[in-house]
Amino acid sequence: MRFLKRFLQKRQQKKQQRLEKQKNQQQQMLQQMAADIQLSTDINENIKNIQESFHQSSDILFRTFSIGSSQACIVYVSGLTNEDRIYENVLTPLMEATEEAHSLQELIEKKISVSEIKQVQTFHEVINDLAGGFQALLLEGHQSAIIIGLPKWEKRSIEEPTAEQVVRGPREGFTETIDDNISMLRRRIRSPRLTIQMKKSGAITNTAVVVAYINGVANDKLVTEVNSRLDRINIDGVIDSGYIEELIEDNPYSPFPQVLNTERPDVIAAYLLEGHVAVLVDGSPFVMIVPTTIYSLLQSSEDYYERYIIGTIIRWMRYLFVVIALLFPSLYVAILTFHQEMLPTTLILSIADSREMVPFPALIEALLMEMMFEILREAGIRLPKQVGQAVGIVGALIIGEAAVRAGIVSAPMVIVVAVTGISSFAIPRFNAGISIRMLRFPIIILAGSLGLLGIMLGVIAIVVHLCSLRSFGMPYLGPLAPLQLKDIKDVLMRAPRWKMDTRPHLTGGTDRERQASNQQPGPN
Amino acid sequence: MIEKGRISSLQLAIIMYPTIIATAILIVPAVTATSAGRDMWLSPLWGTVTGFLSIFLAIKLNQYYPDKSIVEYSSDIIGKFFGKLVGLGYLFFLFHISGVIIREYADFVVGLFIAQTPMPVVIAGMIAVAAFAVRAGVEVIARSSELFIPIVIFIIFFILVLLIPEMDFLKIQPLFDGGIWPSIKGSATIQAWYSEFFLITFFLPFLSDKKRAVKWNVICLILIAVSLSFTNLATYLLFGALTEELSYPLISATRYISVADFFENIESVVMALWVAGAYVKITAFYYTFVIGTAQWLKLPNYRPLVFPIGIILVISGLWAAQSFTEVKDSIGKVLPFYLPLFGTAIPFALLIIAALKKKIIAAHQSSEQA
Repeated sequence: MRFLKRFLQKRQQKKQQRLEKQKNQQQQMLQQMAADIQLSTDINENIKNIQESFHQSSDILFRTFSIGSSQACIVYVSGLTNEDRIYENVLTPLMEATEEAHSLQELIEKKISVSEIKQVQTFHEVINDLAGGFQALLLEGHQSAIIIGLPKWEKRSIEEPTAEQVVRGPREGFTETIDDNISMLRRRIRSPRLTIQMKKSGAITNTAVVVAYINGVANDKLVTEVNSRLDRINIDGVIDSGYIEELIEDNPYSPFPQVLNTERPDVIAAYLLEGHVAVLVDGSPFVMIVPTTIYSLLQSSEDYYERYIIGTIIRWMRYLFVVIALLFPSLYVAILTFHQEMLPTTLILSIADSREMVPFPALIEALLMEMMFEILREAGIRLPKQVGQAVGIVGALIIGEAAVRAGIVSAPMVIVVAVTGISSFAIPRFNAGISIRMLRFPIIILAGSLGLLGIMLGVIAIVVHLCSLRSFGMPYLGPLAPLQLKDIKDVLMRAPRWKMDTRPHLTGGTDRERQASNQQPGPN
Repeated sequence: MIEKGRISSLQLAIIMYPTIIATAILIVPAVTATSAGRDMWLSPLWGTVTGFLSIFLAIKLNQYYPDKSIVEYSSDIIGKFFGKLVGLGYLFFLFHISGVIIREYADFVVGLFIAQTPMPVVIAGMIAVAAFAVRAGVEVIARSSELFIPIVIFIIFFILVLLIPEMDFLKIQPLFDGGIWPSIKGSATIQAWYSEFFLITFFLPFLSDKKRAVKWNVICLILIAVSLSFTNLATYLLFGALTEELSYPLISATRYISVADFFENIESVVMALWVAGAYVKITAFYYTFVIGTAQWLKLPNYRPLVFPIGIILVISGLWAAQSFTEVKDSIGKVLPFYLPLFGTAIPFALLIIAALKKKIIAAHQSSEQA
């Protein structure tokens, strides 16, 4: 015991030392910043300092010129700047100016015709803005600089989202540029209540992260919770929204995604109207929605654009697909191994006939084929499109056919695995499909060792886990468990539009009424 | 409080329904048939008297001590020493009865479906899943039973409806051949199950809407009585006097189901779905045992107890009986007295003492004031 105590104490001490060291480093950095906090009146010194802090990077351009007789310099990162407009709106009017001794304020007011513009005094503001794609105008004899916002970089145009396609519905998808994504949201929700809050994340990458919600519709507590979780993030870089997702979810040990990702602005707009909160990350076309329930992972935007009866039926089919994707191979294994009497005689005879040559027990056979399927699927995704097709053909036709002929696997098993795979692809969200596919393996093993009892125990374990999951404080199994009768209209069915009068109970804020009731259409 | 989660009265009722019915529906028809014979469909309705009494006692005692379970308020009522003794008695009762329930489950599954699987594996598998739920807390238990209860109700309904073509409705005539006494005698075993309703004493402190507790528990009790009554009726209409000879009449009945030459021999499926009900029952007892132990020991947190108690419960399940015959024997002879002792008799005594104490104190105070 004493040993243990000492060990724990030592660990504690080391941790404290490490923390102190970090603190010291941060303070040093802050002091350094404070040391060169003011810009100098000497323009050459400023230029030299900027060059040094960018370590002579070649893409930092310094264009010196003179306004009247005083010297000036515009600094920018060449790849992030709209150079045409710099010449047109900044350089040309300033160089043509003849009067002397302008104040900065006068320049901003009279000469530079750019809408995004500000004055800064400190040196590190200048370099941070330069790195963020702004331009800095330095002037001889002034202790401050003008920051001009004329950014421009190459970007992908708006395209149809490839991961979530619909037959009917809007076809535009988010891009990597956060401004475009925000504009797509604003265009869908033209209301001052749509609130956009930007913050920076990532110590080095300084990535813009935006929290979007509709004021009054989203629960205030939820918004504060999202903000506080985002503020807690302290990493060096944010490359994709996946980084943020992993740092804000409730249960990091769960195989189930607790944050919904989508490329579709219409989906985000619909969720915002239900009182959810969206998190946009610059550089990622995937926008996150919190909180999420397991049902929203099984819904497609098209459910809402097609007739509600069709939507309801398709939703139920999807629930069935989930059960097939999770359980079909295990049921096959359990029935073949333990409960043969369940199958009609002719069917069991034909299965037994095809299994006659197979050297493996059903459990091994199923695991083999499922592994095979996962290999093919993964290879098919990563390869270039042309080769990917070849892999599909080789995998499905040649290996499948040859394995059956050679008597290594039975034909029914190939059918089972294929049906399972297709069902898992019918789940609209890729990340939900993949977690269900992975959970299949432990259940197959349970089925092979305990039969239907094993399957049931596995299912109970999964259900218990799902019941204990929360997404931003909202129970993951949504209005079904715990039961919220009013919200079931959008889970067990897709209620007709004229019946969706209230917002979901768990996400909605103060503004609970969604529309006027009694809107059921019909002849007058 | 030891548990941070809160559940609604409806959720409590949803937990209690499978908690009573999961094992009852398998065994009750055979046991009641022995004494009630043709009138066995009436026995579950007589038995509700004990159920109502248990609910009344649990709720009344909870009104005196709203934040406490019987393990805690027994000390308040009859003094520290005797109170602890009663608490310990309840813990042993829970330990033993959980063992019996686990054994009923394991005997059923192993005996009928996977005969070659060793019983410890079957028990340990279930306990592992239940431990998972117990650790997660009362909210998770409630939510998971919310998802499973439609399945349990569905299988009962499904079996009863599909059996209609096989039933001989004239078998229950003549009604009340030997008066109503045989059916009351048959209810002796069933009321043992109903007295399990006293388990709600452990859940009542965690309710978010105590006002509706009476309503939902009574509805739950009536539903249970009706379900059992219909099951008894169906099995008797199917097997007649043969019912008492069968181990699990309802499962034997499912063998008769045959729809379109495809839905045949579905008893394995029924077993698998029934396991969901058994899970709720075992989890409810497991949870109360853990909570009760933590309250008895005055621990601030019950979670460290979950796994050790799980191991104890596996052993308790193996110890509970030598064989299924012994289980069935004790169900017929011992449990009708054993369960109501803890489900109604002791709480009744406690309630009387608590009420008297309150009256005496009130009288004392008023006399002091006067």
